[in-house]
Parts: sequence; C-alpha cells; structure tokens
Amino acid sequence: MKRTSLLLAALLFASFALGQNEKYYQKMGETLSGFSTVRNVEDLQKLANQFRVISQVEKEEWLPLYYEAQCHILISFMGALSAEDKDSYLDKAASIIEAMKAMAPHEAEIQVLEAFYLTGSLLVNPPQRAMSTTPRIHAALSRALAMEPDNPRARFLRISNEMGTASYFGDDTEPYCVQARELLQNWDSYKLKSPIHPNWGKEDIQGIVNSCGQ
Amino acid sequence: MALFLVSGSLLAQTSVSGTLRDAKGEGLTGANIYLEGTYEGTSSNLDGFFNLESTESGRHMLCIEYIGFKKFSKEILLEGKPIELGIIGLQEEFNELTAVTITAGTFEAGDKKKSIALSSIDMVTTDGSSGDVYGALQALPGTTTVGESGKLFVKGGDSRESKTYIDGTLVYVPYSSSSPNTSVRGRFSPFMFSGMMFSTGAYSAEYGQALSSVLSLKTNAMPVQDQLNISLLSVGAELGGTKTWNHSSLTASLSYTNLTPYMKLVPQFRQWELMPQSLGGDMSFRLKTGKSGMLKFYGTLNRSRLSTMEESLDSPGNTFHYNLVNDNQFINASWAGEIGERMILTTAFSYTNNQDRISMDSMTLHESLRGAHSKVSLKHRISDRVRLLAGTEWYARTFGQEFPRLETGEYRNYTTHTLTGFLEAEIYASSRFITRAGGRLEYSDYLNRASIAPRISTAFKAGDKSQLSLAYGWYFQDPDDEFLLQSSSLDFERADHFTLNYILNGNGRTLRTELYYKQYKKLIKFGVGEALTYSFINNQGDGYAYGMDFFWRDRKSIKNGEYWISYSFIESMRDYLDYPYEAVHNYTSKHNLTLVYKHWFDRLRSQLGVNYSIASPRYFNNPNSDIFNGEKSMAYQSLNVNWSYLLKQHVIVYATVSNLLGSKQQFGYKYASIPDENGIYRSAPILPGAKRWFLLGCFITLSKDKKINQLDKIN
Repeated sequence: MKRTSLLLAALLFASFALGQNEKYYQKMGETLSGFSTVRNVEDLQKLANQFRVISQVEKEEWLPLYYEAQCHILISFMGALSAEDKDSYLDKAASIIEAMKAMAPHEAEIQVLEAFYLTGSLLVNPPQRAMSTTPRIHAALSRALAMEPDNPRARFLRISNEMGTASYFGDDTEPYCVQARELLQNWDSYKLKSPIHPNWGKEDIQGIVNSCGQ
Repeated sequence: MALFLVSGSLLAQTSVSGTLRDAKGEGLTGANIYLEGTYEGTSSNLDGFFNLESTESGRHMLCIEYIGFKKFSKEILLEGKPIELGIIGLQEEFNELTAVTITAGTFEAGDKKKSIALSSIDMVTTDGSSGDVYGALQALPGTTTVGESGKLFVKGGDSRESKTYIDGTLVYVPYSSSSPNTSVRGRFSPFMFSGMMFSTGAYSAEYGQALSSVLSLKTNAMPVQDQLNISLLSVGAELGGTKTWNHSSLTASLSYTNLTPYMKLVPQFRQWELMPQSLGGDMSFRLKTGKSGMLKFYGTLNRSRLSTMEESLDSPGNTFHYNLVNDNQFINASWAGEIGERMILTTAFSYTNNQDRISMDSMTLHESLRGAHSKVSLKHRISDRVRLLAGTEWYARTFGQEFPRLETGEYRNYTTHTLTGFLEAEIYASSRFITRAGGRLEYSDYLNRASIAPRISTAFKAGDKSQLSLAYGWYFQDPDDEFLLQSSSLDFERADHFTLNYILNGNGRTLRTELYYKQYKKLIKFGVGEALTYSFINNQGDGYAYGMDFFWRDRKSIKNGEYWISYSFIESMRDYLDYPYEAVHNYTSKHNLTLVYKHWFDRLRSQLGVNYSIASPRYFNNPNSDIFNGEKSMAYQSLNVNWSYLLKQHVIVYATVSNLLGSKQQFGYKYASIPDENGIYRSAPILPGAKRWFLLGCFITLSKDKKINQLDKIN
C-alpha cells in the first residue's frame, strides 16, 4: 500500500514535471509565432513583454531571455526612433545578453545575438562607432564559430558582413555568393536542439542567394 | 490540494484592469503586467490601460515593469470577481545615465556619454594638426590658439596651468620638446584613448596642482583581436602589433619621424640645420583580474632632436644656433576593480623622466625632470543617491638645470614631495538636482606649506533636455620649476573659479553656454637681475579673467554631415612675473571663433573635414615702447582641410592641409635682450614654421584573417 502510494506520488510528480515542461514549450511556441505578425515598435514591445513573463517563471532557461533581447534589438532597427531611444533599447538588450552569457557561457547562439546587438549599436551612429564596434562584431562571430563551427546564423552574419564590405569596395562578391548558396543548401541539415531554439536566418540567406542571381 | 488546483483552474476567468500613469499623469504604453511565477501577462495600451484576463485563482503577486520606472508589485486575490485597480502611478527609477550631471566647466566623452565631447576620431578629423590631441581641443570654447606654442591655454591661464592625466595619473611632460617659438604637439596618439574628460574650470577635488584646466584621458579597454598596424606618413612611419589572449593583451609599436625630406620639398620660413626627427617605441599590457578588475600598463620612450639657426638679434650679422636633444620616458600602471558591490578601488602610478639637452651658441643647458605620481582612490556608493569619493596622492619631482660649459659649471636642482588627500560627496536630492561638495588638502615638503581647497558644485535639470550647473572652488598649484629652483620660501599660487553653465541637449543637437569668473592670487612676481638670476621672487602677483563660452553642435540637420560652432569671449589681466603693472598677457585673444564641418561622402568612401578658426589680436611687449604689453599682433586665421579615403577595408589614405588659403600668420615680435648702440631693441616677427602644412598618410591594418576593418579608423 505504502509502496503503491509512493509510486503514485512519483508518477504524479513526473507528470506534473512533464506538464510544466510541456507548458513551457507550448507557451514559447505560441509566443514565437508572434514574430510573424509584428509590424511596429508596440508589437515588438508586447512580444518582448511576453518573453519576459516566461523568463520570470523559467529562471533557468536562457531562450526566453534570448528572444526578449532580440525584440529590443529589432526595435532599435525601427527608423522612427531617436538615437537616444534606440540606445536605451540596445542597452536593455546588452544587459540581458550579459545575463545569458553567465547562464550559458558556451552557447554559440548567444554570441551570435551579441554580434547582432553590436550591429544594431553600430547602425545608430556609424561614423562614431564603426571603429570601436566593427572588431567586436567580428570577435563575437569568431567566438560563436569556435563554439559551433556549423552554426548557420553565425555563418550567415559573417557572409552578409563580408559581402556588404566587398560590394562597398567594388570587389568581386562571387566568392560570397558561392558560400551563401552552400550555406542555403545545407541549412536544414543543421539540427536544432529543440523546436524553440533560434531558427532565423534562412530567409535572409535566401535573399542573398537571390540577389546573387544564378 | 490537487483537487483544489484543478477546481481553481475551472473557475471563470478573473479580469484585472488598471491604468498606468507617470508622475505627470501621462499614460505609459507598453508596460509589462504579469502575475509573478505564472505565464499570465499583458501589456498596457497607448493610454496606459491594461486588462489581464487570468485563469489563476487565489493570492498572487501582480507585477508591473516599465523601463525607467521602479517595479510595482501588489498582492491581489483572484476569485472570479473583476478587480479594478484604477489609476496606478509608477515611480521613476533613479538612473545615473539619465539623471542630472555636473557639467560646469566640463566636456566629457566616452562610451556612454553621447552628448558633447570629442571622440578620438574627432581628434583626427577636426584639426589640421593631424591627430594632435591638444590641437583638436583648441576647437572647443574656453581655449585660445597660441600658434607659436601649440600648447593648451585655457580661460586666461598659462599653458603650465593645464594638466594632463592618463588613467588617473599625472603626465609631467605631455608635450614634445621644441625650439623657442615653435609649435609643439602632444606626445600621445588620440587612438590610445576611449574616454576623455576636459575640464576648463571648476573641476572636482580629485584633481589638484592645476590652476586652469584638467584633461583626463582614459586608455582603451582590452583589444579584441590580434592585428598588425602599419602607418606610412609623409614625415615618417609607424609599425605596431597587438596580441590578445583570453584575459590579457599586449600591444607594442615603434615609430620614426623625420621631417627632412618634407621640409626640403615644402618651403619653410625657419632655417634648419637639423630638421626635426624622432625615434620612439611604446608598449601596453592589459590583464583582467577577477570578475571586474583590470590591470593596465603603458610605457613609452622617445628620443627627438632638432637644430635651428637664425640671425642673432643681439649681435647683428651673426647667426644664433639652437640645438635640442630630448629624451623622454613615461610609464603608467593602474588597477581598478570592484570591492564588494558598492565600492570601486582605483590605484595608479606614473613615472616621467624627461631630459632636454640644449645648446644655444656657446652656452649649453641640460634640463632634467623626473617625476612620479601615485594615487589611490575609493568610490563608495552608499546608496542610489549618495556617493563618496576619497583618495590620497603622492607626488615627487626633481628638477635640475646644469650649465656644463659655464665657467662655474653651475648645477642646481631641487626635489619636492607633495602629499594630498581629497574627499568629496555627491548627493542627489532627486534625479533632477545634484550637489557635489568636498575638499582637497595638499602638503608640500619643499615649500613646507599646506593648502586646503574647498570645491562645491550643483546642477539642476530644468527639463528633459536642459540643465543648469553652478560651481565654485579654490585651486592651488606649485610655482613653476624655474622659480622653485631659486627659492623654497614661496607659497602656492591660487585661483578661485566661479562657473555658471547651461546645456540644452537632445535630438542630435547640443547647445552649451558658460559664464565664468576667475580670480588669481599669489602669482609669482620677480625683478630680473643680472645674467638670468632672479631677484626678489615673491607671491605678490594677481590677476583675473572673466568671459563667456558658446558651443553649438548639430549632428542632425545635414544628412551625412555635422558641424559645430565654438566661440569664446574673454577679458583677462595679470600683474605677475616681471610685469611692471597689471596688463593683458600675451596668450589671450579676446575673441576666438572656430567652425568645424565634417561630411561623409558614401559613394566616394571619403570623409571631408573643414575647420576654420579666427582669433582676435593678442598683445605683446615691445621694449622700445613705454607701455608694457601694449602692442597688438595681427589677428589669426586658418582654414584647415582634411580628407580621409577608405581605399580598402583595411587601408585608409589620409591627407590634410593647414592654412589652405595661405592667410598671413604672425604671432607678434621677438626682441633683442639688449638695446643696440642707438638704444633700440632690434626685433623680428615671430612666424609659423611655414605658410602651410601638408600631411599625407596611409594606414594599414592587417589581422589574422584579413577581414577586420579597422577602417573606420577615420570614417
């Protein structure tokens, strides 16, 4: 009797735990679908809030933080904001990224997000910031690729940066087109660790391939 | 229990609603409202209204978060009945970055200071002086351009009243050495620094031994990548390399400058026997210690030499030769880190060794300065609103002059030690009102005297974008080496500063105006005796300066362009040194105006920098006249243009011309030390080195994978 009740309790606990986990995945999935409908700063702010709500429940998970920071960075790309406001959103993203790095120091995706954040910061004032920020973007991508050499987002950002530079200087961009096609072809072979892990970038690399022509 | 949970979730939804307002009653949009520990949350709409439909029940903590405001929490009981919270006023969070700061007298730059300030890139593209820190600062108000010196003259103060600090420690010899009436440059490249604080008065008790201004430079943090830098200039070359490890980095460079080919090509006013050349090297090391600490070391050594000749004013028909060899070494080491959560400890040490070997015709002079400075300071954040800064410093300096060829073989030196302590509190009455009050104690063993310097400043943020700042303080400085060498029974020189400053800042535009009054006391006076000996050196000199500074910078109105306007007005007189009575001194122009424009041409991958400055005449003394310092030099003007072109991602080509229009520049006259047979002191005009100055350079950066653009070095 005692044994059965213990077993029952264990089972109950397991299903409860599973239930919690399922709820997390379900909630993340729902919230992530919000990315497809965002149109403006308010939408992104709302989405960031939703991820924030998840992260205050799931204190061990870095993914809700990742998406919250990503929302703040995306807001900074909105042209209508003043430089001061853009910086305040980016500062918020930066502090979240620092917190994530402490939680998951070997996670390549967080390094990629840092490169993304630095790109946002550079774009607020390129003449003033390019000098100090460009090497930091490069360093963040190098760290990401050292942790995970086949990370498609790190590779995408690197190709995109280098290609942008090459076309700016009137150099041949074909080598980058070759890399972009190869990356696109193998994009799906990269195994996501879970359905809620970062999965953006395929459309962007497709865009680069399209711009390359045949 | 499980049953209760299940039944709880079967209950109807509870709606929780309210409206968020700030202190002014405006609705807060996009705030995050959620039940702590649950997945339930919502955002406020454009009016600040929110409605949270919750399926939870029982007691829960409702949390509201909004950037810049304190987190709001309230326990609520969910039992199916709608909860209307009405209007909720959120309290603004105290934020250092947006709170009022003391701006009287100060120009600040750094990562987080987005306002006024010059970045290192500005320093290269602002002035015709090709990356000279001090040249660029002369495009800011409060400074006077003194063409025959090149040093910093601030608000009616002599250049020796301006001090330079690197990572908290004093740089005893911040300028290169040169022959008389020749412009000097700063010894340090602007690219070494990521932060700058330039105070033209009313600075904190942390800084002493400066009557007029303080330039505090913060060196770069840890470099992020290995790289090799090659600079080729029309006047020399520099080669540098950086190696990085996980927690440390090492940078070293070697530079060689030789103006001979350039000066042979471009006509010079001055006659050179040996055109300026120098060889130098520097090294810097960074080490991260623990979680927040950083150890920095920087060392540089440099040797330069030059030799000029000109017609002697004292004996017509003969030439006067001036020959200089300068050796300079400087090291700086500092460590800063957090002690606990609320304290930052900074320790720093610097050592300067500067040797000038000068020969003027048959006379030789060996001037030697060895100086050390160490500083320990502790910043304690007692609370959000109260901070304390306390520290102590020790200065040691030995200055000596030797005249080896003089018959007496005269050698003199003196050594002084100064011990200081400072204490200052910053108190925010609110995020709109700050007071900083403190003082500084200095004791000099050589003078056997102590000084106490109170300093107080306040700032009030009138609106979101404007603030008013007021400051008052006493400032002390040792008399100049040449007097201390003669006598130790002197007192500190003193200046009292009153500064009123107003800043309007926002949307890429900045307006800064400042009114100030300075009272000088106990300045050195003397009567000149025979053969360069000073007689009756005393502290009975005094003087004043008052004026107005105006600065406008606009980064917004012109696409891909920005401009600034800097204007200073000053009235200043002094009775000091060998002045027979109070007079306007030589290094002040009543009106100084500088216009700077920069434009980025994206398709040309180029930046154009144009800088025009004009200064009203300065006074100088004509010994043939009865009036002391009664003659006016001609007004100064110069149009400088520079062009930087990004040839490749890692290659920049840079060109600059100073005084493009070839405007006549003349800095008064110099006179013979003795009258000729007719009782007249012979004279000659003081001219710049040449009509124009050109520089052409190419900067190459190579990194391991050839990808890094440090481009943007100039962009």
